[in-house]
Amino acid sequence: MSYWNRVLHDARRREAYTKFVRTQDAGLGAFLEFDPARRLDPPLAEHADPGDVSYAGSVSRARSRGAAAGGETPESALAGVPFAVKDNIAVAGFNLTCASRILEELQSPYTATAVRRMEAAGARVVGKTNLDEFGMGSSTDNSALGVTHNPYDHTRVAGGSSGGSAAAVAAGLVPVALGSDTGGSVRQPASFCGVYGLKPTYGAVSRYGLVAFASSLDVVGVCARELSPLQAVFNVIRGLDERDHTSQEPVSGPSAKVSVVGVLTGLQGLDPAVRAAYERTVEYLQGLGYALREVELSTLKYVVPAYYTIATAEASANLARYNGVRYGLRPERAENPDELVRIARDEGLGPEVKLRILLGTYVLRSGFQDQYYLRAQRIRTAIRNELARAFDNVQAILTPTVPVLPFAHGEGELTAFQQKLADIFTATASLAGIPALSVPCESTTGGLPVGMQLLAPAFAEERLFAVAGRLAEAAGERGLVARPENYPPLPDWAAAKGYELDWS
Amino acid sequence: MYQSFIGLEIHIQLLTRTKVFCGCRSAFGEEPNTNVCPVCLGYPGVLPTLNAEAIRMAYVVARTLNCELAEYSLFERKNYYYPDLPKNYQISQYAAPLGRGGYLDIEFHGKRKRVGIHEVHLEEDAGKMIHAGDMSLLDYNRAGTPLLEIVTEPDMEIGDEAELLLQQFRRMVRYLGVCDGNMEEGSMRCDANVSVNRHGQGLGSKVEIKNLNSSRFVRKALNHEIARQEEILSHGGTIPQETRLWNENRDLTETMRTKESAHDYRYFPEPDLPPFTTTAQFLGAVEASLVELPLERRDRFIEQYDLATHQADFLTEERPLADYFEAAVEHGAEAHAAATWLAADVRKMLNRRRIEVQDSPLTPKRLAELLQLLAESRIHGKIAKQTLGEIFETGRDPLEIIRENGWEQITDPATLSEYVDQVLARHPKAVQQVRDGDSKPIGFLVGQVMKASSGRAEPRAVQELIIAKLELKVVQVLSFGGAISGVRRADGLVEPGDLVSLGELFAQDGFADSVRFDELHLGRFLSEEITPQDWAILLSEVASRLQTGAADGIVIAHGTDTLSYTASLLYWCFADTSAPIVLTASVLPHDKPGEEPHPHSDALRNLKAAVRKAMSGEPGVHVIYGDADFSPLNLKFEGLLPFSAPSRAHEAAGRKGAVGDRGAAESAAAGALSLGRFRNWNMESPVYRGRPISREIGELPRAELTRKLEQAVRSVFIAKVFPGMQGDTLIALMNAGVRYFILELFDTGTANLRETPYSLRKAFQHGEQAGALFFCTSQQEIAVDFSEYVTGHELWREGAIPMGRLTTESVYTRLLAALMVAENDDELVKLMED
Ligand SMILES: [Zn+2]
Repeated sequence: MSYWNRVLHDARRREAYTKFVRTQDAGLGAFLEFDPARRLDPPLAEHADPGDVSYAGSVSRARSRGAAAGGETPESALAGVPFAVKDNIAVAGFNLTCASRILEELQSPYTATAVRRMEAAGARVVGKTNLDEFGMGSSTDNSALGVTHNPYDHTRVAGGSSGGSAAAVAAGLVPVALGSDTGGSVRQPASFCGVYGLKPTYGAVSRYGLVAFASSLDVVGVCARELSPLQAVFNVIRGLDERDHTSQEPVSGPSAKVSVVGVLTGLQGLDPAVRAAYERTVEYLQGLGYALREVELSTLKYVVPAYYTIATAEASANLARYNGVRYGLRPERAENPDELVRIARDEGLGPEVKLRILLGTYVLRSGFQDQYYLRAQRIRTAIRNELARAFDNVQAILTPTVPVLPFAHGEGELTAFQQKLADIFTATASLAGIPALSVPCESTTGGLPVGMQLLAPAFAEERLFAVAGRLAEAAGERGLVARPENYPPLPDWAAAKGYELDWS
Repeated sequence: MYQSFIGLEIHIQLLTRTKVFCGCRSAFGEEPNTNVCPVCLGYPGVLPTLNAEAIRMAYVVARTLNCELAEYSLFERKNYYYPDLPKNYQISQYAAPLGRGGYLDIEFHGKRKRVGIHEVHLEEDAGKMIHAGDMSLLDYNRAGTPLLEIVTEPDMEIGDEAELLLQQFRRMVRYLGVCDGNMEEGSMRCDANVSVNRHGQGLGSKVEIKNLNSSRFVRKALNHEIARQEEILSHGGTIPQETRLWNENRDLTETMRTKESAHDYRYFPEPDLPPFTTTAQFLGAVEASLVELPLERRDRFIEQYDLATHQADFLTEERPLADYFEAAVEHGAEAHAAATWLAADVRKMLNRRRIEVQDSPLTPKRLAELLQLLAESRIHGKIAKQTLGEIFETGRDPLEIIRENGWEQITDPATLSEYVDQVLARHPKAVQQVRDGDSKPIGFLVGQVMKASSGRAEPRAVQELIIAKLELKVVQVLSFGGAISGVRRADGLVEPGDLVSLGELFAQDGFADSVRFDELHLGRFLSEEITPQDWAILLSEVASRLQTGAADGIVIAHGTDTLSYTASLLYWCFADTSAPIVLTASVLPHDKPGEEPHPHSDALRNLKAAVRKAMSGEPGVHVIYGDADFSPLNLKFEGLLPFSAPSRAHEAAGRKGAVGDRGAAESAAAGALSLGRFRNWNMESPVYRGRPISREIGELPRAELTRKLEQAVRSVFIAKVFPGMQGDTLIALMNAGVRYFILELFDTGTANLRETPYSLRKAFQHGEQAGALFFCTSQQEIAVDFSEYVTGHELWREGAIPMGRLTTESVYTRLLAALMVAENDDELVKLMED
């Protein structure tokens, strides 16, 4: 970690770093854009204030962090650290493509709050990473703008939708990357790429600047190879933002202490390697002195349908703005505004996105809402309640992150439908709005990583860090997962390439 | 019979500093796409932030509309596609709007009505798309402007009510300072919906009407649409549910889209905005933003400052003017004077300079000072106007201006007395004329004093001084035709005469010193022969006598037949007179002097009673007849008493066959106090004083007064409704130039509107096109109120104006008075309903 805050501000080191990333990423495809110089001196005021903002009178909110993003964060916290940002999070000066043809040419006119806070703490954006178009997918294969491979096996996917961010971190190109997580989009690729992936509590991190897929589920998340930078980043980006009325200061209350961990009973449909890893992690926890208690989640089987109903419904409204009128792909000629929009959408949006918009439009039709959308919301409430009850007895819950191992590109190993079913554990936390952390573990077969997911009640992220920290300690110097072959750390690579630089 | 149900959807742009969900300035008329940001342009990744000012204003409007305020109101996404809508959904409210179940009261032709408010909700406005040639241009400056939607219940029946509601709502939001209410610029917009059904069958299918860019179009479109739907229904057709567009060029509505193509808005809760929850602090701020509303304020002005309704209406139309007025009164201005000046001279100045009263150099304090100087007679009217001009010119205080220009009037009695003495000495001929009973030279003498003092003498004081010096304390008796001043010819017929003979008789009674008889040179006539010109002469004579103070009381000898007209006309013109105006009449003439007086003539007795009343100093307009002091309003000459008395079978020949009656009356006169029978209808206690329709009438030059009266009379027709009356007759009258009908209806106001040739409905509909107005009175002694019968209700729907307790005669003269001063029909109706 120590060398990271030196790579940007010295021209020679920056050159080495740039070369390193360009070379390594050529075969990996994590980045859509990479330019470490661009944000070195970011413009201060990028856009107007949010106006005469009102918060609902009933909620009294501390505004300490809101007025000046990161104002109270020490400059040094992340000084000089380069980081990557998923290309559905706005960074002025970079594109904001969402890996979609329709936004391929769009330059962001503003910067997301989470990014501003990172930069206010000294970190700098170095590039934008690939994703499934608009965050819709589990493989990053749904990107219209490039292919991202799994650093452990280029024939396999890096997961998705934050596949680019997870791969970049796993390959050691950046120490941390921001992603977004709607139903598992940070945790699933983190699991596939053998890194930590945090989905914070809904509302813990401002969504301002995160391109909406499903607004009531979307969260800005973090990928990191190590736990401490991940924690540092989370502490910098969390908190109330006056640009996001759904953001909150952490509620005080849940203690960070974990003594009892819940383990799921009746797990079905797991890949044997995943099951083995799960059982081994349970043993680890036991060995670390945690009491274990069985937890049964009867609502688990409703998670995926409820999740896709709500997510697509919201997506159908959120994506309606991409019509080629104000920005983005616009046909050369059109007879009338209607035709212009039709052509722009037809040519600009990929099949998975179109599918989900249609689904969402369908479930919101008047007369059918009760059958689909409202029913899904009732299920969501039931899931939230069942988890709340479970947390009466345990302080954290352990589940696999994904029931499968990283799969091959295309639908040969896992169809699009099966890929959606694999969201079961991650989408549970998303529907409940609670924090979840995917912790990397080594699998028994073929050197592919496997992630285990820790869940905690809302705003109890500290518990996740505590348990994950103990696991990492137990694993010792080597870490929980071996670094992928062919992706040496930057100092080693630079030395091999003849850069005589002092990284210490 | 059909029933119509009208509801409105009103949108207002709230006057917040910034837009409802972002920090852009919310302003009208700037360069396209300059007040925009990633949020209001719907860029990827942005989020809405609720504007505190907008939500407060929204709750203030809902509260003012008496709504139940939601403790918890929810924003939702309304999904529809249009290029000017940046996100392709509009953030609006649906399941839990911020206000529900309120009402707004309107007053339509004297009937107060409560219109329910279904809901009030906050949303964002869209941008604007302009088609230019083969291009479509978009301006997003307006996108994200806070928009408040107010949905009324379908509680209105005709377009006129909707127009009224809209106008009243506009005044309300302007008073609250939450919207400028400009329908042309679109800061206030209105869609209407209407359904028509057979009476008693509830709502029909709802038709929405769009493209209504003024409150006038709202009225026209709705009335057109109701007629269209009734036409279809009456031919057995059905009305499809649809949206129609008002075509203002063709004055009709056209189909825009049918129900099949209606939107499915797919509402769902806006995940980016938590529900808004009210707190005690927030509700406190809402309460603190409430203001006295125009109608309340108008009523208070009438009550507190004794203003006429039209004056109060004018003052309270806009809040700054009302505030200004009250500030001026606070500074000591007399309310009436302030109201009059604000409506006339001040308004003229402001219009000329194109400034608002609150921005003018004429502060309320300066106006008050000016009016006080005028009231204290330190300056006279002409100087006051000059001073007003100077204030606007130089922005200095009135007293300063007056002192500097030496405009202050001379009010010191000693100084004035010197001037007056000089002038009286110099003009013996004029003095003699005045002493002989001609009051006109008084004006001349005043003028001479003014001239001598270089315009600085205070004219009223001068006039009083002249009158005092000439010892002119008089009751003047004007002869205005009728038997009372008539003579009986040798053949027994009564012909017009003059009052001189009575004057001689008076002399014998020792009255004469203080009673001056003026004969108006009207030619001799009987009261049924009165022309508008005669009235004009009478009005200007009365006015000049009141104005010069030449009379302490005025007696008008009149004929019985048309007394109720002249009496009420005088009331409408001089109701606030402080010198009594007394009308009197007699059934029988007095006979020529030197001849034996008719043994039963009531002429002399009534005249004496009238003179006594005039000398009593009791202000107001009175009608003295027999022993009774009648009100000039609602006077009915009901006949002669008593019919049953034995007839002396007087003269064989008589006019209008009334002679027989007269004979009967005469025979009773020996015992009875009154020969004729007058009565005030609909009146518990007689009204003598009040507010005139306008104080200007008496001040008009006689020629203009004559012209205006003649013109007014020509445009009016009194029609008594009768079985078999045909609407076509009234239409023929309209074609002949009649614009104002006084319809004397049955009972509390009923007439035939059933669809037959005898229906008046066609006349009303034609009248609406032709701009005719219908003022309604009753043939019975009862107040006209359209709420009693179905037919009455229909009349009211057709726009007929109920005149309440007033009788036909009083309404007629009121109409004449109002026509002489009203600038337009709106003002006329106000004056009639005041
Ligand atoms: Zn904006």
